[in-house]
Amino acid sequence: MSTVASARESLSHALQNRFLPNLEFLLQGSILDSAVEHLMHRLKGLCDNVDTSPETFHDLEVCMSLRQPNQNAPLTLRVRRALDRDAPFQMRYLGQPEVDQRKPTLVRSCMDCACTNGILEFLTEMGFRLDFEYIAKGFMFRKGRMKITVSKLIKIIPGKQQDNDPISQSYIVELSVVAPNGQESVGEEMRVFADQLKPLVQLEKIDYKRLP
Amino acid sequence: MGVTVLQPYPLPDGKSGAHIIDLLGKRLLSLGATHAGQFLVDCETFISTPQHGAPTRAVHVLHNSEYPASTFSMIDNGTGKQVSLVADNIFDLLMLKMTATFTSKKQTKIESRGARFEYGDFVIKLGSVTMMEHFKGILIEIEYRPCVMLSYCWEMIREMLQGFLGINVAKEYPSYFTTQTIINAMGQQQVHPKQNDIYEPMDTVKQYLEHFTNYRKHVQMHTAMGGTGGGGVGGPVVMGMQPSSVGGAGMGRA
Amino acid sequence: MIMDKLNVTLTAVKNLRSNVRQCFEHLADGTDGEGVEESRNKFVHEFQEKYNNINSQLREVEQLINGLQVPPTAYHLGNTTYLAQETSQDRQALYPQLVNSYKWIDKVHDHSFLAFNNLNQNTLRRSYNYCSQKRQRLPFSSFNNDPDHIEKLLSEINYPTHTTYKVFRPFGSNAVAIVTIANVLKAAIVFKGVLIEWVTVKGFDEQLDHDDLWAESRYEVFRKVQEHTHSAMLHFYSPTLPDLAVKSYMTWLNSHYKLFLEPCKRCGKFIANGLPPTRRDLRTLEPFHEECRNC
Repeated sequence: MSTVASARESLSHALQNRFLPNLEFLLQGSILDSAVEHLMHRLKGLCDNVDTSPETFHDLEVCMSLRQPNQNAPLTLRVRRALDRDAPFQMRYLGQPEVDQRKPTLVRSCMDCACTNGILEFLTEMGFRLDFEYIAKGFMFRKGRMKITVSKLIKIIPGKQQDNDPISQSYIVELSVVAPNGQESVGEEMRVFADQLKPLVQLEKIDYKRLP
Repeated sequence: MGVTVLQPYPLPDGKSGAHIIDLLGKRLLSLGATHAGQFLVDCETFISTPQHGAPTRAVHVLHNSEYPASTFSMIDNGTGKQVSLVADNIFDLLMLKMTATFTSKKQTKIESRGARFEYGDFVIKLGSVTMMEHFKGILIEIEYRPCVMLSYCWEMIREMLQGFLGINVAKEYPSYFTTQTIINAMGQQQVHPKQNDIYEPMDTVKQYLEHFTNYRKHVQMHTAMGGTGGGGVGGPVVMGMQPSSVGGAGMGRA
Repeated sequence: MIMDKLNVTLTAVKNLRSNVRQCFEHLADGTDGEGVEESRNKFVHEFQEKYNNINSQLREVEQLINGLQVPPTAYHLGNTTYLAQETSQDRQALYPQLVNSYKWIDKVHDHSFLAFNNLNQNTLRRSYNYCSQKRQRLPFSSFNNDPDHIEKLLSEINYPTHTTYKVFRPFGSNAVAIVTIANVLKAAIVFKGVLIEWVTVKGFDEQLDHDDLWAESRYEVFRKVQEHTHSAMLHFYSPTLPDLAVKSYMTWLNSHYKLFLEPCKRCGKFIANGLPPTRRDLRTLEPFHEECRNC
């Protein structure tokens, strides 16, 4: 009987053999509240998980950051907690977007990690500080390995958990795939799907550096 | 998942770790236990780079082959407060993103590995502890899977341990369960008897960390006192520094 | 053009039919009945007129029909075509479905026949009591008590504080009680009326799925305990005093809260063959290893 491989060994094995999904391909857009019904109908027609009704979600996202010595950008981690069901906390690391203009989607490194509920306290003890937090509430669709979310972002007013205001009069629409290295064809697949949602919503590759 | 107890096994003078493990394995087999694979528990500690005003924090990252998809970690913020976390394996990669703040103390990487046996609903693991390829001692893990509380099954586990180890095990609950403190509603620390809590996988990992810390301390004492170090590992463990036996330990039954 | 002709013909047929009908109605009405010559003449006259009308219309219809041509193409009937059923077998996927349901029904028939035979041979049946001809006795009805009875019965039992139970009814009126004994074990007790039909024992950390009450525990110790609960179920069975049977059974079951805590009464040890004393004596509730019971 062979000896047990250590966790570090199996992790680097997964990285080397490219079955650890660690790249996020992302397209984003937004749609006004008044038109969101049309988009929902279109998505219901196009997507896989619509046998019953679209899957809803209601998450609280907390963004924590750690200033590290000798590094320009702080390390930020996003922790998501489902408010509508009992599920493990999800921690996500997002890297800087790649600056390749030819690619049809935004590409950035991404690591998802399910955690127990001590994660926020754990990060705080590590030296992380709260950046911002918000609530995302909406619908999730799936088409093949693509994930489409239509979500409303909600401001958090400290002390008033009940009546929080939406940030704007529109929904944010995101089309994303998290895939292992070396699967660049995903971008093309996503562009084709995004075209099918036109002209209801224009899904684009957003360059964060150009935003004011 | 059931209650797990760790028991360091004292190494008699002049015997190698591999020899003892071989002996214990044979005893278990003749008792009716079956050999069921190998196991590994490892621990790596990250220390925060000193910053003015802030105490040094230590993050212990452990893996247990019994829960292969999880990474267990504990942070010690330097003022006695500990927070524990169970996360996906990816957490290891995230730790590598923080190398500027938390650096791994490579020389204290420690692990326990060896053979795994099943006897009825018991799982018994004969672990040889090594730090930096140096053999440190024998650590026996015994788990009784159907039971979720130590106070229910401690006597059973004790009888089992005494039976195949041939040593006397104290009647009291293991110290890990009786010395845990929690912060009560008033914000004060108080002793919390853990033997009546529902047992969690994190408890196993915490026990390993406790023993690993003892082994590490022991080395420091050992070197500081010029090789005449006393016990401190929860039992009269005799340290035989025998690097030659590392390869054989626990791998005898391939 | 063809359509027009067809329409005209259809109208003519319609007219003919209505005239024939009118004519017969007229005949059926008859005369006033007084035998007045005048009215009789009038009646006959009117009949003749109608009859001639029918004759001329019949001729007209025949003429029109002769003028009709066989249409070169099928008529386009618009949406009305959808009213017609598609009867071609190949176009409808009915055949495979029919075959499947036929097979299914056949199988159901076979299985129920075998089950019926087997159940009839089973002398251990307890729920259904067929009275023999020789010994006539009152049929007991403990299996069809009213649904609230079992709940009342369970609530009357004096549970120790560490035991909790929950009743639900997945099979119509028959109850299933999920009993949790301390942090040691969970048991699903399936009742039929007030009789205990089945018991499944699982560990505290295991799922006891409401849809799958028959899956065994993954732990050897609880599989062993389950065996003993079944033999105890037969021991406590008492059709004449079903309530007492359930009560004593529950008392016996509750003694398992010390499953891991008590050594065997006979050998004084906790473990034999990797298991704790799984057997509880049915009267004294003392723990024994399975091996120590008979020696």
